[in-house]
Amino acid sequence: MPGFAQSLLAALWQDAPLVQAPFFLIGVASLMLWPGDLLIPRDKKRRWSLLTQITLAITIFLIILTPHRSGFSSMLRIDTMTQAFQLICTLATIATVALSTKLLDLMHEHTVEFYALLLFALSGMLFLCGATDLVTIYFSIELMALPIYVLVGYLREQERGIEAGVKYFLLGAFSSGIMIYGISLVFGATGGTTTNLDRLASELVIAMDSRATMVTLGVLMVLVGMAFKVAVVPFHMWTPDAYDGAPTPITAFMASAPKAAAIFAFARIFGVGFHNISNTWILGMEYMAAASMILGNVAALRQQSMKRMLAYSSIAHVGYMMLAILSNDPNLSVMSFSGVQTLWLYVFSYLFMNFGAFAVITFLQGKGEGERIEDFRGLSHRNPWLAFAMMLFLLSLAGIPPLIGFFSKFILFKMALERGFVLLTVIAVLTSAVSAYYYLGVINQMYFRSHPNKEPLKTDRVTGYLVSICAIVVLLGVSAGRWLIEVVDNIKL
Amino acid sequence: MSQFANTLLMLAATFIPFVAAIVLLFVPKDRSEIFKKGALFATVLSFALSVPFFFAYDRTSDAVQWAQSWSWIPSLGIQFSVGMDGISLLLWLLTTFIGPIAILCSWEAITERLKEYYVWLLVLQTAMLGVFITQDMFLFYVFWEVMLVPMYFLIGIWGGPQKLYAAIKLFLYTLAGSVLLLVAVLAIYFLQVETNGTLDFSLASFQAMAPVIAEQTRTYQTLLALAFFLAFAIKVPMFPFHTWLPDAHVQAPTAGSVILAGILLKMGTYGFVRLLLPIFPTAVKDLMPWFIALSLIGIIYGALVAMIQKDMKKLVAYSSVSHLGMCMLGIFALNPYGFKGALFQMINHGISTPGLFLAVAVVYDRRHTRMIADFGGLSETMPVYSTIFMIMTMSSIGLPLLNGFIGELIILQGSFQAFPWAAVVATTGIILGAAYMLWMFQRVMFGSISDVNRKMPDLTPREIIVFAPLVVMAIWIGLYPRPLMDIMDRPVAKLVRQLSPDYYQAPSLSADQEKAKQEGMRGMEAPQNPNNTGNSEVIEEKR
Repeated sequence: MPGFAQSLLAALWQDAPLVQAPFFLIGVASLMLWPGDLLIPRDKKRRWSLLTQITLAITIFLIILTPHRSGFSSMLRIDTMTQAFQLICTLATIATVALSTKLLDLMHEHTVEFYALLLFALSGMLFLCGATDLVTIYFSIELMALPIYVLVGYLREQERGIEAGVKYFLLGAFSSGIMIYGISLVFGATGGTTTNLDRLASELVIAMDSRATMVTLGVLMVLVGMAFKVAVVPFHMWTPDAYDGAPTPITAFMASAPKAAAIFAFARIFGVGFHNISNTWILGMEYMAAASMILGNVAALRQQSMKRMLAYSSIAHVGYMMLAILSNDPNLSVMSFSGVQTLWLYVFSYLFMNFGAFAVITFLQGKGEGERIEDFRGLSHRNPWLAFAMMLFLLSLAGIPPLIGFFSKFILFKMALERGFVLLTVIAVLTSAVSAYYYLGVINQMYFRSHPNKEPLKTDRVTGYLVSICAIVVLLGVSAGRWLIEVVDNIKL
Repeated sequence: MSQFANTLLMLAATFIPFVAAIVLLFVPKDRSEIFKKGALFATVLSFALSVPFFFAYDRTSDAVQWAQSWSWIPSLGIQFSVGMDGISLLLWLLTTFIGPIAILCSWEAITERLKEYYVWLLVLQTAMLGVFITQDMFLFYVFWEVMLVPMYFLIGIWGGPQKLYAAIKLFLYTLAGSVLLLVAVLAIYFLQVETNGTLDFSLASFQAMAPVIAEQTRTYQTLLALAFFLAFAIKVPMFPFHTWLPDAHVQAPTAGSVILAGILLKMGTYGFVRLLLPIFPTAVKDLMPWFIALSLIGIIYGALVAMIQKDMKKLVAYSSVSHLGMCMLGIFALNPYGFKGALFQMINHGISTPGLFLAVAVVYDRRHTRMIADFGGLSETMPVYSTIFMIMTMSSIGLPLLNGFIGELIILQGSFQAFPWAAVVATTGIILGAAYMLWMFQRVMFGSISDVNRKMPDLTPREIIVFAPLVVMAIWIGLYPRPLMDIMDRPVAKLVRQLSPDYYQAPSLSADQEKAKQEGMRGMEAPQNPNNTGNSEVIEEKR
C-alpha cells in the first residue's frame, strides 16, 4: 500500500517540528560520539564543553520556536507549559555542563561521552515534557534514565560511584518494570483501545464499572513506578546513595532536570489521565506526600555529608511538589493557579536554589576541601560572597521570606489550602520549620566556626557567575513576585 | 501632597538603616571607625526623622495615618501598604529610639568582625521598623520572619559560650510558631474570598472579617485563633513558651539583649493587639480563662525564677517574662484601661529593661563576670553607675514618679475591672518584682567591696551618653505621661469597639459616667462629642 506509506510519511513530516529540539540533541550527541570523538585530540577534550554549550543554546531557540499543537496521533503535545518545563531542563543542563568542565579537568576524567550522555538524557526529558500518552511517557523516561545511570557511575575508579550507579540502575529498571506492567493493565482495562491520557480520562471512568480491580491495580502500579522515578517515600531508598556517589555536578543535575521532567509527567498522568478516578490513588498519594515531607526532613537532620543532606532535602521538596499534583484539577475553572502552574513555579525556584548550593559544593570539592558539612566551616572568612550566597540558597530552601523559596512555597500552600488539603499543608509548614534546623547547621559552620586554613579562597569565573546569577534570582524572590505570577499566568497546560 | 511626602519620610526613616547596611557592605573590612560611625549616623538620622511624627500625629482620629499603598502582586491582592496608628507609632518610635543606643553600646564591646556586626544590626533595625508600619498581612509576615535572620547571626557570632544552642533555639522556636500563623492567615484569606469575593491581604480587610469568623464553627475559630496565639505567645514570650528567652538573652551580646528586650518582645504583644484580638473577638473571649491563667503563671513564675538567679543577666531576662505577663494581663482585660496600661507598660519595659541590660554589661565589660556573688559594695567606687542602676531598677519595679509605676497601675485598674481576682494575684507579682530587683541591687551595690572590684572605673562619657536618653525618658514619662496617653487614646477606643461593639454604650458604664459628671470627676465622664469616630472616653481632662 504505497498510498498508506506515503500518507504516513507526510504525517510524520508534518509533525516533525514538534520534536525538532530533542531530535537536534540526539543528532548532535550521536555525531559527537562518532566521528566527533576522533577529530579532537585526547588532551583537548575540554573543547567539548564549549560545543555542548552552543548546542544547548541552539536547543533553547528550537524549544521556543516549536509550534503549539498536538501531533503523532496525539502522542505528543507542545504547549506553553511543556515549553516552560523544557526550558527548566535545558537551563539545568547548561548549568551542569558549566560546573562539570573544571571538575572533570581536575579529575582527569574528560571524555566526550560525558557530554553526549547529558545531551541524550536531555532529549529524553524534552520528549517527556511533551508526552501525552502512556507509551511515549514510558519510552521518554527510559531515554532520560539510561544515560543518567551511566553518568551516576561515571567515576568508575571510585567504589562509591560504581555502587551508586549499579544501585540506581537496578532499582530504576525494576521500577520501570512495575510501571510498564501497570500501563499494560490500564491498557487492558480499557479494552485495549487507548493509552492516550486525554482519552483515558473518560475511558477509565467507564472501565471502573466493570474492571475496577484491574484499573486500580494498574493505576497503583504506575503510581509506584513514577514514585520511584521522582523519589518519594517509601520509594526513595536509591536517592541518598545515588546522590552521594555521583559526581557533584551530576547530583545537581539529577536533583533538578530529570526531577522536573518526571514530576511534570507525574502531574500529567495523575492530574489529567487518571484524574477522574482519583479515588483509586488519592489516598496513597496523600500518604506518600506526607511521608516524604516528614521522613525527608527528619532524615536530613542527621546527615554529615552535604550531598546526602541535600538528597534527603530533595525528597522532602518532592513531597511538597506532590501537594501541587494532588491539587491539580483540570475540570475546575478557578481564579488562582492550577496545580501544574504552581508546580512549575516551585520547580523553577528550586532550580536556582538547588543549583546555587551545588555550585558552591562543587567549587569547594574542586579545591580539595571535600563535601562534608564540616568542610564549610569558616567559609565566611575565606570567601564572604560565596558564604553569603550559600546562606541565601539554604534559607531559601528552608522557605524564609523574602527569598524565592518562600514565595513558591507560599503560592503552593495557598493553593493546597484552597483545595482543602489542610492537614497536609499543616504537616508541610511544620516540616519546613524542621528543615530550617539542618540548613542552619550549614550556616553555623560557615559563619560561626573557623577553618584551620585562613587563606582566602578565590572563586573561578564560572562558579562566580553561576552562583551570582542564582543568588540574585533567589534574593529577588518576593519582590519579583508580580512578574513571576505574570509569567506563570501565561503558561498553560 | 504633603500627606504623601510624610509617608515617604516615614519610609525613609524605616529604610535608612537598611540602605546604610548596603553601603557599609562595600567598605573595606579594616576601616572599623567607618562602620561604627556610619551605623550610628544611620540610626540617629532615622531617629531624627521619626521624631516629628510624634508631633504630627493627629490625636483626634483613630484612623491609620500616613497611609499609602502601592500595588505589589495585584493578582493575589498583596499590596505594599504602610501607615501607622497611635499604637504602632509608639512602638515604631521606641524602635528608632533604641536603635542608636544599641549601636553605641556595642562600640567597645564588639571587637571582631565589626563589618558584619553593624550590617546585621542595621538590617535588623529596618526589619523591626517594618513590622510596625506595615498595613498588609503578607508584608507583615515577611518582615516578621526576616527579623529572625539578623538576630540569629547576632547571637550566633557574637554571643556567649552557648551561643549556637541559643541562636538555633530562638530561630526554630519563632519559626515554628509563625509557619502556623501563615496557614491561619491563608485560611482567613480564603474565607474572605468566599464571603466577599475579594482578594485582599490588607490588615483592615482581615479585621473586617471578624463578624464572619465569629459565625463559623467553634472548632474552626479556636484553631485559627490558637495558630495566631502560638505565633505571638512564643514571641512575647508567654509561659510556657518562654524557654528560648533566658537562653537567648544570656548568650546574646549586649546590643542583642537590648533589642530583644526592648523591641522584639513587643512584636508579640503588638501582634496580639493588632491581629489576634480584632480578628477573633469571639474565640478570644472563649479562650480567655486560659489566657489569663497563662499570663498570671508567667507573672508569678517569672518573678520567682528571677529571685533565685545568680546571674544578673538571667535575672533581668526572667524579669522580662514576668513583666510581659503583666502586659498580657492588661491586654486580656479587653477594656480601655487594660489596653492603655499594657501599651504603656510595653514602652516602659522597652526603656527600663534595656537600661538594666546595659547596666549589667557595664560591669561585665570590666570584670567579665555577671555573677551577683562576684560583686558587692560598688556604690562606694562607682557612684554614677550605681545612681543610674538605681533609677533603672526603680523604673522596673514601678516606683511612683518613674515610668513603670503608671503602666502597672493602669493595667491593674483595667484587670480589676474585668477580673478582680487576677488583679489581686498580679499584685503579688509586683511585690515579688520589687523583692528580686532590690535584693540584687543590694547585693551588688552595698556590702563590703573586694579589691578587684575596687579597681573598676566608673562610667565613661560614652557610657553616660548611652544611659542618658533612657534615664531622661524614664523620668519624663513618669512625670508627664499624658502625651503618650493621648496618642493611644483613640486607637485603643477603636480596638475596644472592635472587641465589644457596645462597650461604650453599656448601661452600667453610662450610669457611672452620669454619676461622675454629677460629682465632677472629669476623667470618668462620657465623651463630649459622641458623634465623631473616636467615641472614646478620655482619661485626663479634655484638651
